[in-house]
Amino acid sequence: MHRLVPEKLVTVITTDVLEHRLIAAVRRRGASGYTLLRARGAGSDGLQSGNLEIDTNLLLKVILPPERMSGLLDDLDALIGQGYHLTVFVADVAVLDHEKFERPMET
Amino acid sequence: MSAFSNLLIPAVLFFALGFIARLIKSDLRFPPDLAKILSIYLLVSIGLHGGVELAKADLGEALAAVIWALLLGLLLPIIGFGLLLATRRVGLLDAAAIAAHYGSVSAGTFLTAIAFLGSQGIEYERYPLIMLAIMESPAIVVGLLLASWSRGRVAKAAPDRGAPRADRGTGHMGDILREAFTNGSVVLLIGSMLIGAIANPKAMESLHPFTTDIFMGMLCLFLLEMGLEAGRRFGDFRRVGLALGAFGLVMPLIGGVIGVLVGHLMLGFGVGGTTLVGVLGASASYIAVPPAMRLAVPEANPSFYLTLSLGVTFPFNVVFGIPIYHQLALLVAGGA
Repeated sequence: MHRLVPEKLVTVITTDVLEHRLIAAVRRRGASGYTLLRARGAGSDGLQSGNLEIDTNLLLKVILPPERMSGLLDDLDALIGQGYHLTVFVADVAVLDHEKFERPMET
Repeated sequence: MSAFSNLLIPAVLFFALGFIARLIKSDLRFPPDLAKILSIYLLVSIGLHGGVELAKADLGEALAAVIWALLLGLLLPIIGFGLLLATRRVGLLDAAAIAAHYGSVSAGTFLTAIAFLGSQGIEYERYPLIMLAIMESPAIVVGLLLASWSRGRVAKAAPDRGAPRADRGTGHMGDILREAFTNGSVVLLIGSMLIGAIANPKAMESLHPFTTDIFMGMLCLFLLEMGLEAGRRFGDFRRVGLALGAFGLVMPLIGGVIGVLVGHLMLGFGVGGTTLVGVLGASASYIAVPPAMRLAVPEANPSFYLTLSLGVTFPFNVVFGIPIYHQLALLVAGGA
């Protein structure tokens, strides 16, 4: 049997102008890394076609230990409080080689 | 010469093709980054062109153009803000974000105007090009000021909804201003102008095929993509409603008239240059302003300002606006 260890997966979908702030929060809260994809879709902000510089969304995935998640969620909540439209959801995942997820990124 | 002969410029016809393709639900679609590549090409090419010409320009006249570009960028959003509030269809913060777009400019509309002047064999001054580069940013500053004033008003009107958060939007004012003035398009346009101005003219000649020969073809492709984008936004027209839609048509006319007056009376341009300043006054940004408003005024709904700027004002200017501003310029500057 593989040695799987539980972690939290936080997914954020929002406008790509927030990229710098999201990455800063991810680093500050001690995540070991992140994955960023360009996304398109539609929702409360209207159509995001992804064709132009100005209407592209991003999809950010971060896996981190459960005890570090709440700090990150606080930061995301603060952005929502400022009026930004963020879609945030959290899932339980199990990872191989969990030590990798314990090491914060070098800042 | 028909007043609407610009309808038969290939670039405008390609715009129409894109628009129609979207309306008939064609699966025509550009690869994701092509629009960005085309807009980089157009900015570099127009910047180089302008730079070569500006190297021969008069410093005093260039300075006057810069000052009037700043004034237009500051004045137009305030007019737009007042008009938007008069429609009573949008909140203060939405009005602030939309108004900022109308103080800024659209390089696509400007280039179409140059194609229009070229097709009619009309000469034009090069100073409007500096104005194009300058006018991307000041409207953002006005938008930020209008938004922070609006926030104060909103908080006063509805104190029960909790105290206004100190960090709301304005907390990163410095960052947003820096981003407004270092926006990629602005840097590219001004940088290319500098290169064009200081580069060895002999060496610049080797760029002729790049900056001149293929220019109109690239503009056709760009406008095809913008037509697709405008067609896609046009569907959202119902969501913005009649009053806002009307604003998207009236505001460019007001800006166009002001631009034409400034172009001839204040800057003393001929018909070509005056038309271009009219176009600058009339057009609404879809490059530098939307991301700045996204960051600075998150409470405003982006589908309002993107639909108005891309789906209403841009097509209106490309098809009807440019010949109208040209007629106005003829009226004002025709005798000169």
